[in-house]
Amino acid sequence: MKSVVLPKTNQSGYYEMRLESIGGLGANLCGKMLGELGIRYLGLNSASFSSYGSEKTGTPVKGYIRYCDAEKEIRVHSPIVEPHLLCIFHEALLQDRSVLNGCCSETTVVLNTEKTAQEIVDNYFSGEKGRVQAAGVCTIPAQRIAMESHARVNVVMLGAVVAACGFGSLDAVQQICKDTLGKKYPESLEANLEGIQRGYQELQKMEFEADSSHEEIEQRDKKESQWGYETAPIGGINPHLGSSVISDLSASRQGYIPIFRPEKCINCALCDSTCPDMVFQFEKGIYKDREMMVNKGLDYYHCKGCLRCVDVCPTGALVRGIEAECEHKEHFLPNKDLLRKPDYYEKSGADGYITSESYLTLERVEGGEV
Amino acid sequence: MEKQVMEYASGNEMAAIAVKQIGYDVMGYYPITPSTQIAENLDVMRAKGETDLIMIPAEGEHSAAGICYGASVGGGRVFNATSANGLLYAIEQLPVQSGTRYPMVMNVVCRTVSGPLSIKGDHSDLMYMLNAGWPILFAHSVQEVYDFNIVALRLAERVRLPVVVAFDGFFTSHQKRRCMRFEEDKTVRDFIGKKTEEYPFLDFEHPITVGSYMNEPDLINNRYQLHLAMEQVREELPRLFEEYEKLSGRAYATCQGYCCEDATDLLVLLGSSFDTAMEAVDQLREKGKKVGIVTLHMLRPFPDEEICKLCSHAERIMVADRQDSYGAGGGNLSLELRAAMQKYQGRASIKSIVYGLGGKDFFVEDAISIFSMLENETTPDFAYYGVTAGTQDDKEKSEFFEPITGEKTKLGIMQVVTEENEVKVQGVNLNATTQIPKRLAPGHGACPGCGIPVNLNLLMRGIEDPVVFLFQTGCGMIVTTGYPRTSFKVPYLHNLFQNGAATLSGLAEVCYEKQRRGELPKGDIVFIMVSGDGGMDIGMGSALGTALRGHRLLIFEYDNGGYMNTGYQLSYSTPIGARSSTSHVGKAQYGKTFFHKDMPQIMAATNIPYVATVAESNPTDFIKKAAKAAEYAKHSGVAYMKALSACPLNWNDRPDTERKVIAAAVDSCYFPLYEVEQGKTRLSYDPEKNGKKIPVLEWLTMMGRTKHLAKEEYKPVVEDLQQEIDRRFMRLKEKSQHPYL
Repeated sequence: MKSVVLPKTNQSGYYEMRLESIGGLGANLCGKMLGELGIRYLGLNSASFSSYGSEKTGTPVKGYIRYCDAEKEIRVHSPIVEPHLLCIFHEALLQDRSVLNGCCSETTVVLNTEKTAQEIVDNYFSGEKGRVQAAGVCTIPAQRIAMESHARVNVVMLGAVVAACGFGSLDAVQQICKDTLGKKYPESLEANLEGIQRGYQELQKMEFEADSSHEEIEQRDKKESQWGYETAPIGGINPHLGSSVISDLSASRQGYIPIFRPEKCINCALCDSTCPDMVFQFEKGIYKDREMMVNKGLDYYHCKGCLRCVDVCPTGALVRGIEAECEHKEHFLPNKDLLRKPDYYEKSGADGYITSESYLTLERVEGGEV
Repeated sequence: MEKQVMEYASGNEMAAIAVKQIGYDVMGYYPITPSTQIAENLDVMRAKGETDLIMIPAEGEHSAAGICYGASVGGGRVFNATSANGLLYAIEQLPVQSGTRYPMVMNVVCRTVSGPLSIKGDHSDLMYMLNAGWPILFAHSVQEVYDFNIVALRLAERVRLPVVVAFDGFFTSHQKRRCMRFEEDKTVRDFIGKKTEEYPFLDFEHPITVGSYMNEPDLINNRYQLHLAMEQVREELPRLFEEYEKLSGRAYATCQGYCCEDATDLLVLLGSSFDTAMEAVDQLREKGKKVGIVTLHMLRPFPDEEICKLCSHAERIMVADRQDSYGAGGGNLSLELRAAMQKYQGRASIKSIVYGLGGKDFFVEDAISIFSMLENETTPDFAYYGVTAGTQDDKEKSEFFEPITGEKTKLGIMQVVTEENEVKVQGVNLNATTQIPKRLAPGHGACPGCGIPVNLNLLMRGIEDPVVFLFQTGCGMIVTTGYPRTSFKVPYLHNLFQNGAATLSGLAEVCYEKQRRGELPKGDIVFIMVSGDGGMDIGMGSALGTALRGHRLLIFEYDNGGYMNTGYQLSYSTPIGARSSTSHVGKAQYGKTFFHKDMPQIMAATNIPYVATVAESNPTDFIKKAAKAAEYAKHSGVAYMKALSACPLNWNDRPDTERKVIAAAVDSCYFPLYEVEQGKTRLSYDPEKNGKKIPVLEWLTMMGRTKHLAKEEYKPVVEDLQQEIDRRFMRLKEKSQHPYL
């Protein structure tokens, strides 16, 4: 095997990539395939891993891949701080700016978006002060390609990442896909290979001179809470009752939201009985001349878009809507029991977007292995 | 050298490969992050027919250790893997294994010990093993995980002691690396050789007694034998390493140094950090600093002579421990190194730091700054590295809700009265009960469509009294109390899931006593333990004990049929045939192989005053039963409720369909709704009567985890399940018709 030459490496001799995604998009598998690609087909040594946590849908996931020359050992185990390639699995993730942490004049950003590279550069990476440093921006409409070719988003991104790196061939990346998915999902292999090819070929690249006036984003996640050893209650005790309310969980939505049509509501409260997220705000009121509890609205900060409520609603007062079409959410009512509105809501990831009733989900629903 | 092939794999994957190649007989295990993947990977191999390893999923680590002990006494080759509190739960059994001299291998995938609960890696679990009489090998890389596992079994059988192979949780267990393995299993099996037993237990011609009762003149001799065996490791292990090198080309020693020949400043550390520190050494050497690092591949017996040799040129040594022996002035590694240096007249000054607890990342820069701390003479002898003081707690800004006290919830919506030995509830109405403020705040991190908060909210709607929660470990706890946030607006306590019911017994009793003494205001309080079905596996003993003692409290089980929090391993409540990450479906295996546990009947057999099953698909029935259970929990004894709880992630179905899926489980009689009140069984809903009964297969095909059961080849499994369900349901019906049954 002829070894590829890495275009650049850091002080320790590694070429480093970071994937930013949320649970369910397949970034984990994409990272694994990138790692394996390095070893099997690029003549490199590689290591890969994901951010670790409890197994939940819709939580932010990071993937890390390190490459170096084949004869060199990979010694570091720490997460990747200043990636040479930063791959963001959906544009909406950019709303939480920490996905750009460590972005610098060495970094090429790959983004899944319908927008052009120029638009992304204008929005995030150039122009006025305070924009982010980067060496280049690549865009790929991976969602659309995935839907059109019936491939998984993660393989389209895989093709795009390899094209953006500039040192892996299409052949090689298709081969690794065959190795990994061919046996497990033979029926969808062709579609996935097409997805990779289109990801590889339809990537739009834009390189530019790093502008030093631009901001270098904080290198590491600042996860330090205000509670340290001098100020935290002993024993991990938490006296801040109900404080999880400041989490904004709209990132967990998969493109759909429940839409409330109060004129059809009979206040049966079945929605409240099925909602895992305390979204429905019932207050004392009058319905049909009777005093009773009346549904006043929905707390969309905490709605995860599971649509359980739509399923149980007997009158069509709750219907499924596409979130992208509802920029202004009617009947949006923050939790009624709040003493005061929080100063801010902490984004627990990205805003809602459609994952095509994701291929991944379908696979699982059909009883496939994931 | 034998032929080898390259793998791109994680530590857990390489451990599983080694286990498969060795050809162990039995693995007794209980899933715990981050070691679980070893069993999961082996189960995949089993499903494919690549190994005939007998895998026994225990109901807890203590039992897993028992299974391993029994199997090794029987002459089997036995393997186990665990982490953190799993190791601690098993630890009572481990000196039994070593003291009676039965070899086996256990992997300890290091993780921090609770509480507060954390799943990430440090060495606080492993150091509890130092006095257990097990030789301990420590693999700092993925490759070593494979190699040491092979050498460990040979060593174990040689010195007749059980051996631990430890490695870092996540850093080593989960990161994929390039590594080598032998192409042929035979190579590994030849190296291990055939197992010989001096005293075969299952030899009926020569029966032996194992586990004597031993008095004081003899016990010390038995311990001395163990000591001698441990000392024997010092000679055996280097020999085995040498032999293994001939096969693999990879040389190992009990200790490893990097650039220590001329180093004046040495850093000693364990595990994956060693590699990271190597990088730091290279960078510092470029600047002319004479620095080096040392790690250990063996903790028991402690390789004092070898490590002192590596440290002999150093003037200053820093030992970095990923755990603390609180109050001893350092972690165990530093204590042992200090003792060893004393023995071998080392001249270096030794300082200690504790770092990287709970998996706090260790960057190259951290290693560099630790070296500079070593250079700095004012650095104290012992310090914590990487702690933060914090800023002033702005309490004002964190007050979002008023606490939910009895005044806010006692609205008199429901009337609960006791008539003729029965509790009757009136006024349950879905609309009206929305008035009761929610005890749980939004913003918890459950998956979209998760059944746990749904069930908790329904439970709470039936209880107007103040409540105290105790959650056993599980999804419900993880998603609600991620520090520094909490979703609870009422008093809440977590304890590990072997012991929640017992803990709540103590809590409730002290409260009742304080009320009696007038130290706390009188008035009803409902003490509620919330547990998943996993918690009711490992914690069943504790729950039964609590039930038998008759404390006044409520046990609420949300049963999603699997250990979902750790990636869906089978629980005893998983339906037969269901796919899980420890019951894969393949040509040699159809999923889980035994029936779902009937916990309500087990609890009913303790003769507690109230047992009920509930389902969100029948919300009014649910709320009514919650009110009844609370009434019994306040006045009579233990009340137990169980809800079937949806898990879209691992049932592999759509979140919005869950209520229908639950309804189908009820209609198929897989999950019958009934109550056992004061010993009398009453069906709450009879699908047969309403003509709504459906075959269980209809329910099974609604979920991805059981969809495969519709295939012709699995027909016998489904038929068996249908029969079992029907039998259980008929029995319930009989009981409901005959009050004394």
